[in-house]
Amino acid sequence: MSYELIALLMFASMMVLLFSGQRVFGAIGFVAVIAALLLWGERGGFDIAFAQTIKVMRWYPLLTVPMFVFMGYIMSESGIADDLYRMFHVWMGGVRGGLAIGTIGLMVLISAMNGLSVAGMAIGATIALPELLRRGYDKRMVTGVVQAGSSLGILVPPSVVLVLYAMIARQPVGQLWLAGVIPGLMMAAMFVIYIAVRCKLNPTLGPVLPVQERAMPKREKFRLLLAGLLPLAIFFAMMVPFVRGWTSLVESSAIGAITAFVAAVLKGRMTWKVFDTSLKNTLGITCMFMWIIVAALAFGAVFDGLGAVKAIESLFTEKLGLSPWVILILMQLSFIAMGTFLDDTAMLVIVAPLYIPLVGSLGFDLIWYGVLYTITTQVAYMTPPFGYNLFLMRAMSPAEITLSDIYRSIIPFVFVMVLALTMVMVFPQIALWLPETVYGK
Amino acid sequence: MRLLRAYIKLVDAFNGAVGRVMTYGIFAMMGILLWSIVSKFGDQPSLWTLEAAQFAMVAYFVLGGPYAIQMGSHVRMDLFYDNWSLKRKAVTDAITVICLLVYLLVLLWGALGSTAYSLGYFGSDSLGFFLGLITGTEEPGTLERSRTIWRPYLWPIKAVLCVGILLMLLQALSELCKDILRIRGEVI
Repeated sequence: MSYELIALLMFASMMVLLFSGQRVFGAIGFVAVIAALLLWGERGGFDIAFAQTIKVMRWYPLLTVPMFVFMGYIMSESGIADDLYRMFHVWMGGVRGGLAIGTIGLMVLISAMNGLSVAGMAIGATIALPELLRRGYDKRMVTGVVQAGSSLGILVPPSVVLVLYAMIARQPVGQLWLAGVIPGLMMAAMFVIYIAVRCKLNPTLGPVLPVQERAMPKREKFRLLLAGLLPLAIFFAMMVPFVRGWTSLVESSAIGAITAFVAAVLKGRMTWKVFDTSLKNTLGITCMFMWIIVAALAFGAVFDGLGAVKAIESLFTEKLGLSPWVILILMQLSFIAMGTFLDDTAMLVIVAPLYIPLVGSLGFDLIWYGVLYTITTQVAYMTPPFGYNLFLMRAMSPAEITLSDIYRSIIPFVFVMVLALTMVMVFPQIALWLPETVYGK
Repeated sequence: MRLLRAYIKLVDAFNGAVGRVMTYGIFAMMGILLWSIVSKFGDQPSLWTLEAAQFAMVAYFVLGGPYAIQMGSHVRMDLFYDNWSLKRKAVTDAITVICLLVYLLVLLWGALGSTAYSLGYFGSDSLGFFLGLITGTEEPGTLERSRTIWRPYLWPIKAVLCVGILLMLLQALSELCKDILRIRGEVI
């Protein structure tokens, strides 16, 4: 049997198993160990699965995963983001569509404090969304705002997805994080422009808040502004020691987790229930991630051993005669197609080990591709009919928002994101300038 | 069936207790990393923190894994699965859980071999070696150390990995038992 055929067979059997609904790590791990046993027999076949746990243990930046997951849960469970929302409410309410623009701002700040998009979506859907609806904002527009805004979570550092990407691509996490900063902020700015223009054309979408709602003593107003400083303080407490070289990335993530925890305690929000839920969920999510990574690494190791990537590359470049850019664009399109029926972790671990080495061997910059990859997966999760985010949003938002509202709300924002994606593709410097400036070329 | 129920109860209670203790492991990791930062301002940065934190994380997710299964945290592709009836889910799971069991068995076998190696046994009969250790016919050989400045012995963390994977295996079996009970129409 040719190696291409074996690779294809592994891939196909994994997909079948995944669709049966078995736990993702079990399905991937099973295919990997059976393939290893059949290919290399007893000795190598038995060791390859366990060797990956040791690899995971030796990969230091992976420690940031539990830290940022914990931080995200502390924030969304304890409600220390409530004040942040009120700050934007009071300060931005006077502008047309101001609350929606404020929500994007809120999302940027939340993204700077945690590494997953779920926390942002939870805060947006439970705190911002009901308020926006009550103020007569157009429900389709604001639903889109929350979803688009939460996608910033994994682009603005710290980002757990980029940590995992870094592990598979063997690239430094710090550079990847810095590469995400400017594209993330650029995308946020594009969302804001889009909202502002639409509300200017059609003021009923985002009515101005009545003056009495915004009226409060100047002192109170500035006190609220302090709420906005909290996330910035946490962010800088993490990032300054790291950029100055006093702490490693992992140590900084621990600082972040500790400061978020302390902030919640000081604000009197750390009830037993919040504490318990955060701890349990952190363990659950971390275990889910780690077990999938261990299984996916085994799968990747078998693929590596087969030389499957080389085979696929030669299939595209030599047999089909495609240029690297065409292949890259085809890959991005296939991501979007897959994202409509695969969930996010599954995408990351199944597709990344196959695509990332291919991108590298085509001669593209892997730091730059990390940013493209992140934006593309976000677009994919938001594209109907089966975006992962769409269902999450349905589960978390108020009852009056139907699935069809969610489907329609997202379309303009997907266009904005595709535009941002194209800009990063055409001008790689948008992503690469900051890491090159900080780390030197 | 009473046997199955007793097994489920025992395994779930044990793994649940281990898991709840492990949830506090996040503070152990934070503590180690915090000490790592603090010690940089002293005379001598500590050499052990990096590896200790790694060991803590591995213990955290391997020993906490079974509890995560109980909580249903391990994601599934639920595109079709979500719409199935309870019975259909149980039947499918009862079949596909065999894949999970096979994977965990291979993982456990690798872990045992690696642990035997870390205790200085280089043969292929690692089970016989452990048996020999208990009965006293075998002696540990050259203990494997980590190739870092701290040079910790590696067998403790590998032993933890063996235990964790074994607990995962027991938990997966418990899930199988639950599915069997569900197929027979019993309420769990």
